[in-house]
Amino acid sequence: MKKILILIFGFNFLYGADFPDRIISLGPTLTEQLYLLDAGEKVIGNTIYCKIPEDAKNKEKVGTIIEQDLEKIFILKPDLVIASSMTNPKTIKKLNVLGIKVVQFTYAKNFNEICRQFLELGEIVGKKKEAEKIIEEVRGKVELIKKKTIIRNSAKEGQKVFVQIGAKPLFTTTKDSFINDFIESAGGINIANTKTGLYSREEVVAQNPDVIIITTMGIAGEGEKKIWKKYKTINAVKNNRIYIVDSYKLCSPTPVSFAETLNEIVEILYPKKINE
Amino acid sequence: MSKKLFRWSIQILILTGVLFTVSIFSLCIGSSGIPLKKIFSTILEGRGSTEYSIIFDIRLPRIILGFAVGGSLSLAGVILQGLFRNPLVEPYTLGISGGAALGVCLNIVLGIYHTSVLSLPVSGFAGAVLVVLIVYFLTLKKGILKIQGLLLTGVMISFISSSLIMFIMAISKVEDLHGIIFWIMGSLEEPNMLLIKITVLLSVFGLFGAYLFYRDLNAFALGEEDASHLGVDTEKTKKALFILSSLLTGCAVSVAGVIGFVGLVIPHFVRMLIGYDHRILIIASFLTGGAFLIACDTIARTVIAPIELPVGVITGIIGGVMFIYFLNKRK
Repeated sequence: MKKILILIFGFNFLYGADFPDRIISLGPTLTEQLYLLDAGEKVIGNTIYCKIPEDAKNKEKVGTIIEQDLEKIFILKPDLVIASSMTNPKTIKKLNVLGIKVVQFTYAKNFNEICRQFLELGEIVGKKKEAEKIIEEVRGKVELIKKKTIIRNSAKEGQKVFVQIGAKPLFTTTKDSFINDFIESAGGINIANTKTGLYSREEVVAQNPDVIIITTMGIAGEGEKKIWKKYKTINAVKNNRIYIVDSYKLCSPTPVSFAETLNEIVEILYPKKINE
Repeated sequence: MSKKLFRWSIQILILTGVLFTVSIFSLCIGSSGIPLKKIFSTILEGRGSTEYSIIFDIRLPRIILGFAVGGSLSLAGVILQGLFRNPLVEPYTLGISGGAALGVCLNIVLGIYHTSVLSLPVSGFAGAVLVVLIVYFLTLKKGILKIQGLLLTGVMISFISSSLIMFIMAISKVEDLHGIIFWIMGSLEEPNMLLIKITVLLSVFGLFGAYLFYRDLNAFALGEEDASHLGVDTEKTKKALFILSSLLTGCAVSVAGVIGFVGLVIPHFVRMLIGYDHRILIIASFLTGGAFLIACDTIARTVIAPIELPVGVITGIIGGVMFIYFLNKRK
């Protein structure tokens, strides 16, 4: 028994020593998640777009989401660099050549994957328990919302939704994206069926969505809203149901902000009704 | 004659000096802010320190690659301009770069590069050669290469390949899209030392290869007919130089991405400064091209650090402005 205990403690000790203390994050969502995991003080560098939470702004900036300054990363002597799906593969290879450990998180395809990556991140930085607690809480919230929306869905109130995430060319979400998850979990039906995200305006008019959700895309969102208003036959235009949602919230969610944004989408799809 | 030789030696010495100055300058500056004083002591102390690693593992490979790519591109420019006696001919206007780019894009989308890093330069070269062959056979009339048609066909092929690249981007998955965009923006950051070595070897090989043809290129300056009267096997020379320049371009483009302007501007610039004789022009362009790209890359990585600009942004702006300035001054 003693031996086992020693083994466990020894293992824990060794494992504990493996956790990184100097982390550089190369993505805003990753930075945000590190703060959620209470590992914010371990972050020594991030990108110029890492602005949430407030404290992330004070960290050393090592570049943008897609291009980083290798020298700057190297001189900060990180134990771990966390790369996003947008990080240049050459940068990752070069960091490996320089002997810096890099973990890359790929593009999460749905809510489950977002949760799984969050847990993985928690494990890597030694905050497994915190991660599990947060995920449990978030899953509870999302399940609750889903339960309510499924009732709506079965009552044939399912709303047809078109999500626009890019203008010129018109860009929507693919089925294998968490944005699709947002719509379906909120009880909506994503009308787009595309593998690349490119979509034609004609197709949207023909499919006649009840709701159009546009991301802000800087300031382009407002302009796009005006363009949609020209197509009077679309239900969403008739009933004045074109909404603009913050790009960052919709396109780069953490598990926590996923639940929040999902709430927002539910309110958009079923105004007032959901809380009855 | 010996006076000429003397002048050329001086010019080459000066250019080599410029190249070394630019390289050392580039070695010394960067965003990590290692002070100048510390650089010498770091180099003397040898391996082990962070500073040493930054200078020799991060900055030096970039400088070497910049030299090879800049040299290759301007060499290809000199060869093609000399061959066709047309100031607008260069790897880009002939569609060679476009072909190389298309080859690399296909490689990325099909995921071939996962199998071997070497597949990237190979596919770049394959694309370049394919375009060269297409251009060549389309403009080959009755066994004679017509220069007028060549440029137009080249420009068209260039457009076609950039449209095809856009087509590939439109139908490809988001993950692959990133790979293509990164590569198109162009960067001298290359983690694989083998690729850097190959590029250097090829560029030096290209320099010697081109030098074998200096007589022929000088003869071509008189016109193709006169060149053949002077005893140049024009068709054979054209073929050899065509392939040599696509080899240089294909390799440079596949490693560093699309870097414009070097191949067009540097040869003109060198001609203005040094003269039209290919005996000196070839070497001088090679050295100047290398120095120019190293300088541009240094600016690209430091001007708004920690953000790194694509090096093509700097070559385009500096090269273009400098060229227009000198062109007007000369008039």
